[in-house]
Amino acid sequence: MGKTPSPRGGMMSRSITIEFDGAPHYVPEGITVIQAMWHLGHPMIRGIGCLNGVCGACTITMRSPSQGESRTALACQTMVEDSMSFTFLPPDASKKAITPLSAEVPDEKKLLHFYPETKRCVACQACTTICPQGIDVMGGVRAAINGEISAVAERFTSCVMCGLCSMVCDARIRPHRVGILARRLSVAAHPGSTEQLYVRIDEINTGRYKEEWERVMSS
Amino acid sequence: MLMEKLGMDKIEESKNRVQALRASRKDIKWPLLSEEEKHHLVHQYHPDYKKEAYGEIRIGPNRGEKTVLEVVKLLEGESSIASESISLSAARQVDVLIIGGGGAGATAALSVKEAGASVLMATKLRLGDSNTVMAEGGMQVAISPDDSPIQHFMDSLRGGHMENDRTLLKTLVESGPSVAKWLLDIGVLFDREEDGNLSLRPGGGSSRARLLRCKDYTGLELMRVLKDAVLDEEIEVLEFSPVVELLTDGEGICTGAILKNLDNNKYLTVQAKTVILSTGGMGRLHIQGFPTSNHYGATADGLPIAYRAGAALTLQDTFQYHPTGAVYPEAMAGILVTEAIRSVGAQLVNSNGERFVNEMETRDAVASAVIRECQEGRGVETSSGRRGVWLDMPLVDLLNGEGTLKDRFPNMDRQYSRYKIDISKDPVLVYPTLHYQNGGIKINVDGESTLKGLFVAGEASGGIHGRNRLMGNSLLDIIVYGKRAGRAASLRASETEFRKLTLRHLEEYQKEQKSAGVVPQIVSPILFPDYVNKD
Repeated sequence: MGKTPSPRGGMMSRSITIEFDGAPHYVPEGITVIQAMWHLGHPMIRGIGCLNGVCGACTITMRSPSQGESRTALACQTMVEDSMSFTFLPPDASKKAITPLSAEVPDEKKLLHFYPETKRCVACQACTTICPQGIDVMGGVRAAINGEISAVAERFTSCVMCGLCSMVCDARIRPHRVGILARRLSVAAHPGSTEQLYVRIDEINTGRYKEEWERVMSS
Repeated sequence: MLMEKLGMDKIEESKNRVQALRASRKDIKWPLLSEEEKHHLVHQYHPDYKKEAYGEIRIGPNRGEKTVLEVVKLLEGESSIASESISLSAARQVDVLIIGGGGAGATAALSVKEAGASVLMATKLRLGDSNTVMAEGGMQVAISPDDSPIQHFMDSLRGGHMENDRTLLKTLVESGPSVAKWLLDIGVLFDREEDGNLSLRPGGGSSRARLLRCKDYTGLELMRVLKDAVLDEEIEVLEFSPVVELLTDGEGICTGAILKNLDNNKYLTVQAKTVILSTGGMGRLHIQGFPTSNHYGATADGLPIAYRAGAALTLQDTFQYHPTGAVYPEAMAGILVTEAIRSVGAQLVNSNGERFVNEMETRDAVASAVIRECQEGRGVETSSGRRGVWLDMPLVDLLNGEGTLKDRFPNMDRQYSRYKIDISKDPVLVYPTLHYQNGGIKINVDGESTLKGLFVAGEASGGIHGRNRLMGNSLLDIIVYGKRAGRAASLRASETEFRKLTLRHLEEYQKEQKSAGVVPQIVSPILFPDYVNKD
């Protein structure tokens, strides 16, 4: 039933050497790290998810000749390179604060109320460096300290909640969790109204389309 | 080396033609197909009409009807617990058991919690791992003053070839505005206009602009918030615990399920007053050999178990092949290039640099047109043997101002830039990718299947979208029917006692298999696609 998605055709699939689990392995060129795992006989259950780079399940740390220093990446979005080595990272183990959203006007101080350790940021940049999405995580943390809730929200738009930022933080800050709380709170804080939406809801509730529906449904 | 060079030269040559002809194509409006032309195009080229890919279902509620061979095999498969001895005394009891942790399941869980019933979620991978998280384009809601739920209904009906379940569809479109409000209330950050109103974009097959979205991360945003809300409600979630079989009372009522813990391969019997199945789609079955845009876990687990327990399917023979799946680089094969990019001006062009379809036709028509171009020799072949046509994205910046692509489609930009492709400068190759199951388990307006006590929400269900779903209607579907199934299942649970747990339906199904001469070819549900190299 399955279909191996490994590349077809001989020309492209030159073999290269990668290092995984402390041993060298040969895999074809032009495939992703996840595909290389399948190629090496690993049926993946942990460390795999959407295969589209948005679920944050497949974080790895890797070193390759083209990038001198070790860096983090998403395995489903990373092509194998000759002489690269990599290790899968553990899933996010940070605790989420229980953060009920109330109808009252959101207060940016709530960020620090739920995640008080955020104030302990020493501006070391480790979170920004490790983010596989290239988010200015530390900028987000600083904005949270300053109570700039919309700025925090904006910065975390592309966050895949992998939690690596919180894993490397010496101050035990949970930037991704602060980020999503800021996003959720900022909806209520958004200036302007969604008047069109309320008008439409009212129209539906007061039966404005009733006759038209009867006509459409009986045709 | 020489051949590879020749191949690359051909691609480069074609790409140069696309670049050279861009300005001349820029302002040309391509006509929409007449109903008749569309009918012919789709019947001739769409994979749904490829007779040899289909077979008859020989047993169960839909016996005598057809579907693709891959799904026939799945439905006729053998239960994975056929030769296991599993205790049917309940290890857990709960009012409502929810199977599947994507957008529909999470919404249903919040709805059950709100109704005051006890709830347990079980999911194959992690909470949130689903197709929902990848949805890019948006969610259709008829909000703008020049729009109405009726208009939304008519567009969806036409898109679905008039075969949608009208009652389900009416409820879908009419609930749109109120669920949009609910999403705002739980903190979903949709894009806004400067006046504060929700920003709306056009989508294929839709006569009005009605797509709510968050950049091209709409599904990610939705799932992130739903997941956070589920955790806030302290709803218990069993992760890495797929369902392998449903349980019934032996008299046609669903009473629970058997889960499998993937860490220790032990089974867990859960007794529930009602069960909600939100197991999602089937892209990873690679129907007709197509690549897929779907999540790793999209193996239609809900279909065979619900079918064996007696739930009927509907429109199980129709699938959505999204017109623009990536073809190159090979590592991106099957990944979606969002339709929203076409709605702001990206054009489809063949190897000669010529347009061949209005890009805003419904997905089945656009996909058919792309397949036609490739079959008739106007496609481009990559060095790994895949074919496709060009999606000319640089046009978007040309039409809407420099930086539009990077600003509105940061996800697409990031994905391609990982392979050193700049979508604001170069066109990319695309081909239809298996995207969505249009049909599924038949439900009523409360989300209940024909098996009493079994509710279904999201892609696993069928009927709402007819034979072709419009862009943006699936995110709406999971929220509307996730909520409805959650509410109805809670209400039923409040009027019901726990009933006995049996596998009698399975025994009967096995008997039916035997008398029909059906020999199961696989074990189903399959849980994961088999990509592992056997060499």
